[in-house]
Amino acid sequence: MGHLDHFQYLLLMAGCLLITLPLEFVLGARVYRRAVGLAFAVIPVVIIFSVWDIVGILRDHWSYSPRFTTGVKLIFGMPIEELVFFVVVPLCGLLTYEAVGQVLRRTRGRSRVGELGPHA
Amino acid sequence: MPEYTVLTVVAVFAVVVAELVYFKSGIFATAQYWWSIVIIFAFQVLVDGWLTKLSAPIVIYSTDEFLGLRAPWDIPIEDFGFGFAMVTLAILLWRRWLDRRPSVEEGDGG
Repeated sequence: MGHLDHFQYLLLMAGCLLITLPLEFVLGARVYRRAVGLAFAVIPVVIIFSVWDIVGILRDHWSYSPRFTTGVKLIFGMPIEELVFFVVVPLCGLLTYEAVGQVLRRTRGRSRVGELGPHA
Repeated sequence: MPEYTVLTVVAVFAVVVAELVYFKSGIFATAQYWWSIVIIFAFQVLVDGWLTKLSAPIVIYSTDEFLGLRAPWDIPIEDFGFGFAMVTLAILLWRRWLDRRPSVEEGDGG
């Protein structure tokens, strides 16, 4: 795994995208397919939390392992992985929110039809 | 109080106030939001647990800048406030977009 170490953070983020993909295409979250809304929600989050991240870096609240990150830095030393994180995590959150909405709508719809339980 | 702790409290407070006085989406009264938060926190434990594990941390925290309480595993408890604020803000903005646009459900996404 040695040569993959530098991509560990990015691979973790890729895993988050992969594992949430069925929410869009199986449960019908329709978040990727509403890209304008996705951008409307994610861009302010990226800006606000990047500022927080940079404050944390400059004030020495946290740092990032050189071993498990690519070393690509953006402004004020923010690793590119953090930018990816601030896109991926809200995106996964919205996929979850919309998927939960779909499931709740379906179960409510079903309970209206059949209150008699599984043997009805 | 440590700085990360203070910033986390401020962020959680700010997001809640933003909902109550500005967005007024009503998400805090919905099962959809709270089920989502429960699921998201469960997955946060896995992802954040990996990021912060002291045996091979990806993100390294200065011990002076947070309360020093790590749970579950090695996750600084402040991270859950950070995650709550980030995801809740994203949902608030998403709801804002959903509720403000005309009810044209098809042909979107571009």
